[in-house]
Amino acid sequence: MLKSVMVEVEHLRKQYGDLTAVHDVSFTARDGEIFGLLGPNGAGKTTTIGCISTLLTPTSGSIRVMGCDVIKDSIQARRSMGVVPQEIALYDDLSAEENLSYWGGAQGLRGAPLKERIREVLNLTGLFDRAREPVKQFSGGMKRRLNFACGIVHRPKVLLLDEPTVGVDPQSRVRLLDLVREQARAGACVLYTTHYMEEAETLCDRLAIVDQGRICAQGTLQELRAMLGERDVLRLSGTFHPEQVREALTRIEGVEVIHADEAQLALAMPDASHRLPLIFAALNGSDLRGTTLTQPSLESLFIKLTGSELRE
Amino acid sequence: MGFVWISALKDLRRLRREPVTILAWLAIPTFVAVILTLVFGPRGSGPHGTLLIVDEDRALGATMLTNAFHQGALANMLTVEQVTQAEGRRRLDRADASALIVIPAGFSMSFVTRQPVTVDLIRNPAQRVLPDIIEESLAIMLDRAASFQSASGTPAIRLEANIIADKSEQPGGFAAILLPGALFMSVFFIAGALAADMWRERTSGALRRIASTPVHFGAFVAGKLLASAVIFAVVGAFGLMAAQVLMHLQIASYPAAILWISVSGCGLYLLMMLVQSAASSERVASMLTNLVTLPLVMLGGGFIPFEWMPRGFARLGQWTPNGWCVMQLRALLAGSPHVWTFAAAIAAVAIAWLVSVRTVRRAAC
Repeated sequence: MLKSVMVEVEHLRKQYGDLTAVHDVSFTARDGEIFGLLGPNGAGKTTTIGCISTLLTPTSGSIRVMGCDVIKDSIQARRSMGVVPQEIALYDDLSAEENLSYWGGAQGLRGAPLKERIREVLNLTGLFDRAREPVKQFSGGMKRRLNFACGIVHRPKVLLLDEPTVGVDPQSRVRLLDLVREQARAGACVLYTTHYMEEAETLCDRLAIVDQGRICAQGTLQELRAMLGERDVLRLSGTFHPEQVREALTRIEGVEVIHADEAQLALAMPDASHRLPLIFAALNGSDLRGTTLTQPSLESLFIKLTGSELRE
Repeated sequence: MGFVWISALKDLRRLRREPVTILAWLAIPTFVAVILTLVFGPRGSGPHGTLLIVDEDRALGATMLTNAFHQGALANMLTVEQVTQAEGRRRLDRADASALIVIPAGFSMSFVTRQPVTVDLIRNPAQRVLPDIIEESLAIMLDRAASFQSASGTPAIRLEANIIADKSEQPGGFAAILLPGALFMSVFFIAGALAADMWRERTSGALRRIASTPVHFGAFVAGKLLASAVIFAVVGAFGLMAAQVLMHLQIASYPAAILWISVSGCGLYLLMMLVQSAASSERVASMLTNLVTLPLVMLGGGFIPFEWMPRGFARLGQWTPNGWCVMQLRALLAGSPHVWTFAAAIAAVAIAWLVSVRTVRRAAC
């Protein structure tokens, strides 16, 4: 069955004075799909989510959620959205049940359907037994789960998740990611921002790699890997003369210098382990301190596209 | 309207979980009432003041007049000091006394010979109650003397009162003068504390989250306003009750007074919310709140009633938001409620709400 487009972002641009936080961003996300925005902090992911969730007004471009223009018909667009912000946007002095009741009320749920849904969501997130305790007594992971629960209490068709696993212990992270998958399986379109490569690799059906407000590449994981080719990435640290090193290394067959500066080198090549002696020979005279070999991954692609590692 | 209730209930529930805060808020007006009772007595026996007398006559009539202020209730209220005219004027200029009486040379002889004579009274414009008492007492004394003097002729003693302060006297004693200001002082502090909650919601991301829901942001602010209105009504009722029990405060209409405290408290709450949303951080917001609250509370009759303030300050204070609320509460307690007062306050709250909705939403996003 053909999936329908739920979120459509076209040439989105958001400017704060002279700073362009988001520059000509376009993508679409469909129902049942987890679409990831992967990039470092300050890449423009949260600003993009802010524009989609109607919190921020785009400088230019258009955003449609379930066919509704988020600027012209913001209320209608918000009805179909659930937002799980980066912050734990809960009332610490209220119980889990009261928080869910409040956020469900804000989404227009009332009475018996709200109560029923609260019970469901508490069960889903494993918080049923702690439903009446004040949130301030919860662990960080439990708060994150409740934060997520408040975003899905009204069964949104479009779920916006802005780095929902920041500061979460591994167990809670696994549980949260399962919950996200469950929403997608149920037919929701999930927009997920993260700066964790592994999370994006294991969770997202399609991805956009974002850096400095621009989308560098987008597609499925396979499509993105294909962009890099089946090559390993060798990263070297030490003291280098970038121009000399670049000249020496490009003479070796199959080696591509994807980044070179005084302290770091990043090389892409097939079967790197067999080429190491040649590479070390070419770098003779450089003060080499560390070597890391990485198999093809999003990280390799990120380095290739942006010329730098994904920094937190 | 549905979400307004939900939002209000949320804030009231949160507040219920902080009983110490509620107790502190209720304690402020009670504490003020207790302090006022301890200082002025349960029936408001009044403050003590100084009466300066310039005796240029130095004869029996002047002595009798001076002694009259040493007797009965006046003796408890006044310390009488004899001064020279120049010193008396100087001290009055420094607001160092409540009034100055000048008994002219030849006063006693004029009394005996039934010649016209003028006694000057100069009031301290910064005070109202004690100068009023002195003026009225002096008028009675001179009236009696004049009637005795004029038993067979025309009355000849005339009181020349130099009245500078306006004479609108506050009925209901000292409680009615002191309590409204003190009550609004606590309302102002509570308004500041309630408005600070906006920062907690902003920091936690709850404001951003509510702005991304289909509910109108105005309903969210209205809910907070409704919760605040309930709190102000409870604190107001508690304060008025404490004042009635401890200080025998006369209250013409309980419901009108409580409604007024609640409505005007909402106005002050929105004012503080606007102040807080102008700040760049929670710490700056707290500083701004103090910067606004303390001078307004001082000028608005929170610490010192308008009657005890210099005239210029009193006038200014009565036009501060809280000072105006204090004046209207006094009128309500005295039994002269004005519909236009409520209408003006509700209109002001509505305008402040509209501005707050825009400002707070902008600050949240």
